[in-house]
Amino acid sequence: MRKSIHALSQTELIDALKMNNSYILKQFYTLHYKKVEALVLKNSGSTEQAKDVYQDAFITVWTHVKNDKFVPKNDTALQGYLYSIAKNKWTDILRSKAYKNSNVLNETTLTEIKDNKESTTNEQELKLKAAMAAFKNLDQPCKQLLSDFYFEKKSLKDIAQSFKIEENTARNKKYRCMQKLRNMVIAPKKERIGR
Amino acid sequence: MEDKEYISKELFEIIERYIKGNMTLKELQDINQLIELDTDFKQKVEEVKTYIHGIETQALKEKLDDFHEATKNQPNVAQKSNLIFLNFKRIAIAAAFIIGLGSIWYFSIPQNEKLYAKYYKNDPGLPTTMSSTNNFEFYSAMVKYKHGEYKSAIQSWNALVAKTPENDTLNYFIGVAHLANKNVDSAIPFLERTVQSKKDFPLINDANYYLGLAYLKEGNTELAKQFLSKSNNDLSKELILKLSD
Repeated sequence: MRKSIHALSQTELIDALKMNNSYILKQFYTLHYKKVEALVLKNSGSTEQAKDVYQDAFITVWTHVKNDKFVPKNDTALQGYLYSIAKNKWTDILRSKAYKNSNVLNETTLTEIKDNKESTTNEQELKLKAAMAAFKNLDQPCKQLLSDFYFEKKSLKDIAQSFKIEENTARNKKYRCMQKLRNMVIAPKKERIGR
Repeated sequence: MEDKEYISKELFEIIERYIKGNMTLKELQDINQLIELDTDFKQKVEEVKTYIHGIETQALKEKLDDFHEATKNQPNVAQKSNLIFLNFKRIAIAAAFIIGLGSIWYFSIPQNEKLYAKYYKNDPGLPTTMSSTNNFEFYSAMVKYKHGEYKSAIQSWNALVAKTPENDTLNYFIGVAHLANKNVDSAIPFLERTVQSKKDFPLINDANYYLGLAYLKEGNTELAKQFLSKSNNDLSKELILKLSD
């Protein structure tokens, strides 16, 4: 039987998130959403904005867990972490909104904000965004295979079975799909050079 | 010439195993050494890492809307605290506004109060002689007024003015009695009635003067000046000059 999120220790929860355990991810998601929604609604936001902010925060927390950026200090640390990241993100949105509204005509401050944003969005983030966009637009069989292997962490044997192919064929297919993805990421660059 | 960006299937699978942590200690040591020595290889490792991370992140992102469906049947949570933002620009505007209001209060009202205190003097009232009995009630109230029993005087005059609301003398004295009783709000309507009278009223200059003073005390400098200018007594002219400074 699968263990519920409530029965997990903080380390077990982190391990489950690292392994992309969909069952636990879903519970972790649903367990804390309403609190963030209430916060956003109470502070001049809509349910749609609450959802966006929460999903953004959820991805951030998951990434931090994966990169060992987050080390739990107590049994509810991760829950609190998710809430505080969502809260900070919403605060930032409200601030920038207020800032924009009060400085509409001030060209210099607007360019300053733009410049700051560009410098903080580092190269690594842009590369990640490009990879995400490429995967999003990948053809369905490739998408399914790569998702099964890298996200669901299924074995090549299981994947081969579900695709009704040989394991070795699945391995080759995976490599070719990665090449496709890579080409999609670097294609815009080549196009630019060619011009 | 070797394509610098090309990753062979074999190399790709080695890098993949390294990222997934499926390596023997010996292999791991070799790879780590290679990463240190070969920047080109290091770049390739980073590249594959980014692709895998991108796939995972996007795959999770695409699942979130599914997850979200499950939150729709959940009960809402009450949120206690509001977020408080320190928006310095707004605070500055608010502070300026408060300081502005404060200044108006500090500089304008006390100034008016001071001028009022300086220029206000009770109307001495009309002379009362025992012989004038045809207006007994009026004069008996005037005696009370002169003795500082303003409330009682106002009561008596009010009874008379109810019968003759157009009586300028009554309206005027009720007005100044209210002023003497430090009740500016009640004084103003009676004095207004007095100055609006179309008849020749011997105390019209004083009526305008007191009405001007009443508005000054109220903090309405504009109306104060307007009525003071209709009065030709010296104090009015002096006060208008001070208000125009």
